Amino acid sequence: MKIKNIFSYFDNLPFSYKTSFLIFIITGGMISIILLSQISIYTLKNDFDILFEKRTKPIIKLENIKDTYKINIYDTFYDIQQQNITIEQSKDIISLGQQLINKNWKDYKKNTIESTYERSYVTKILNDFFSINYNTSNLILQENIINNINKKIEALHRNINTIVKLLERNKFQEATTLIDRIYFEINSVNIYITNLTNYDLNLAITEKRETQKVFSTLTTVLNFSIVFVFLFSIILSMIVINNFRKLHFGLEDAVDIKTKELQELNEYLAIKIEKEVANSRKKDLIMFQQSKLASLGEMLQNIAHQWRQPLGSLMMIIQSFQTKMELGKLSYDFVEQKVDDALLLSQNMSNTLDDFQNFFSPNKDKTNFKIKDCVEHSVELSKYLIEKENIKLNLVIIDDLEIYGFYNELSHVILNIISNSKDALKEKEENKLIKIVIKKFRNKARINIYDNGGGIDENVIPQVFEPYYTTKYKSAGTGVGLYMSKQIIEKHMHGIIKCKNVFNKMDNINLEYGALFIIDIPFEKR
Amino acid sequence: MADRNLNILNNFNVLYLEDDISLLTHTKDILDDFVLNVYAVNTSKEAVEVLKKEKVDVIISDILLENENGIDFLKSIRDDKQLNIPTILTTAHTDTKYLLDAIKLKVENYIVKPINVKELLNTLHDILLPIIQTQEIQKHSNVIKTISAITDSKQVEVIKYIIGNLDKEDQLIASYGDIMNDISISKPTLIKLFKELAEKKILTKIAHKTYKFNEDALEII
Repeated sequence: MKIKNIFSYFDNLPFSYKTSFLIFIITGGMISIILLSQISIYTLKNDFDILFEKRTKPIIKLENIKDTYKINIYDTFYDIQQQNITIEQSKDIISLGQQLINKNWKDYKKNTIESTYERSYVTKILNDFFSINYNTSNLILQENIINNINKKIEALHRNINTIVKLLERNKFQEATTLIDRIYFEINSVNIYITNLTNYDLNLAITEKRETQKVFSTLTTVLNFSIVFVFLFSIILSMIVINNFRKLHFGLEDAVDIKTKELQELNEYLAIKIEKEVANSRKKDLIMFQQSKLASLGEMLQNIAHQWRQPLGSLMMIIQSFQTKMELGKLSYDFVEQKVDDALLLSQNMSNTLDDFQNFFSPNKDKTNFKIKDCVEHSVELSKYLIEKENIKLNLVIIDDLEIYGFYNELSHVILNIISNSKDALKEKEENKLIKIVIKKFRNKARINIYDNGGGIDENVIPQVFEPYYTTKYKSAGTGVGLYMSKQIIEKHMHGIIKCKNVFNKMDNINLEYGALFIIDIPFEKR
Repeated sequence: MADRNLNILNNFNVLYLEDDISLLTHTKDILDDFVLNVYAVNTSKEAVEVLKKEKVDVIISDILLENENGIDFLKSIRDDKQLNIPTILTTAHTDTKYLLDAIKLKVENYIVKPINVKELLNTLHDILLPIIQTQEIQKHSNVIKTISAITDSKQVEVIKYIIGNLDKEDQLIASYGDIMNDISISKPTLIKLFKELAEKKILTKIAHKTYKFNEDALEII
């Protein structure tokens, strides 16, 4: 249960914590392993150094001392007794031997007592940590032995010196007895030294055992930590990998869900776009109606004017019957003549109505027609408004072009532009001109409509084709005219409409500044 | 107002300026029955020509002519030619601008199209009536002057005094002395004249020094 709890705890940890934990464990384990191995190597080296310097070397020294006593002193005395060598020779050998012994003995004492090769601090801590004890109790024994050897050597050397002096005085008898005693002394010193050697050897063995102990402990710890790190790394890796897998599946699921959401959103958007497109189509239709209504207002003025004259005449004819009747002068000829006139007038009125009715009828069929006819018709329809403002309209037909499209819609566009020019020219005092040029331009029919009304404000030009944009007072314009014109030309006739300000020779004499509307319509085949 | 004597139009000439030829002819056809001559023209140039040659009593002009303006035409003939002929303007426009100009030019009337013939004729009658009346007055004064030249002028002066001093109720308040102060006439002659007038019921005494002038009695004679 506890392990399970820990696992679940780990599982619940955030992913970044898990990975950092894994990294921490691995690096921590690595560092501890490296540290431990370094320490154990260092400790082992230290122990070997101590073994060599403190134990092996002194033993060699002690052996040297023993050998020197045996060879230099003992053998020399023996040779003297056998008279193999001269006293002079032996004197040198013995003093050399004594010097060697003294030196070796001093070295030994230095090595053991001064203890240059103490155990290192790290080793001590390790030993303390692993509770390994040293046998320090035998130090007294060692000291005693060393003291004894000291005394023995001092005594021995005094005796040797005495023997040498005796031999120089040729007192062989006394010397020989002393020499015999010295043999004995040498043997006893050698025994002491052997004792010391044994002691040192024992110490070395103990220390070797301790080293072994430290080594095995360290190895165990090392192995244990390696195993621990290994296991922990594996477990954590598994957890992390598990986490990865979970994350992967989770992500896959999330992607699936999001994809589904996106698909739904797409479908929703598609529906919405469809709706919006329908709306915008509806809006365009409404705007088209609006613009038609706007021009209807102007057209009504036209109709009214074109009707007023014949209407006046008709009323006069009717009244003439009355007055003639009252005066008793009503004749057959008079009635005949007046009725003919009245019929002619009413026919004209009817024709006028037909013209405008055609213009407003939703005639949706594309037909072949001459641009010239359409423009002339449009000019005729707006004649009254132009004349009212004293505007001269100049129609220049360079190429008599026939196109296939919506006659009424093109007429509508031209009327709209003429109406705009008329508004621009309102401010002008005199010499108000509109010029319309029809020509072929790069395989397209081009209609240029100039005026000399001073041009459109440069800041406004980019917006003139936008819906509900108007510079006129609310009553004067709805702001849909040019927008609808653009829609008609671009959507229905696949053409281009643009406007700019130009200088133009309107009356072929003076350069005048004004607006230019350019309509390009491709020649569409039936 | 309803029934005017349109026969008085018979002796007058009318200049009619209108650019709509159809309306011009039909209106002329009607006017021809009422006036002496209708000079129907459709440009101001022709109108000026007519004015030079003929005696025109009334001008009827449209305001909006082809490429010109009736008001400008009127201004030019008033300022340049010093002709002050009564004018009627016709127009399809009710613009105040034209109306103000028309008032400044003191045109006689302003008829909005379509033209009502009765309105036009009545207007013509109203314009021409004062002219006829002036002519009538002139005629009558001439008659009186002639009569006074051949009869006793004193009696005519007394009659003039009586009619000249009538108050609002056609009453004369005066004594013989008052009259004799103004006119050197003998009292018996004056009394005789008053008696004669009383007999013919032209001047009846209603109170002291108060006489009533009876206009109806004149008709009987």
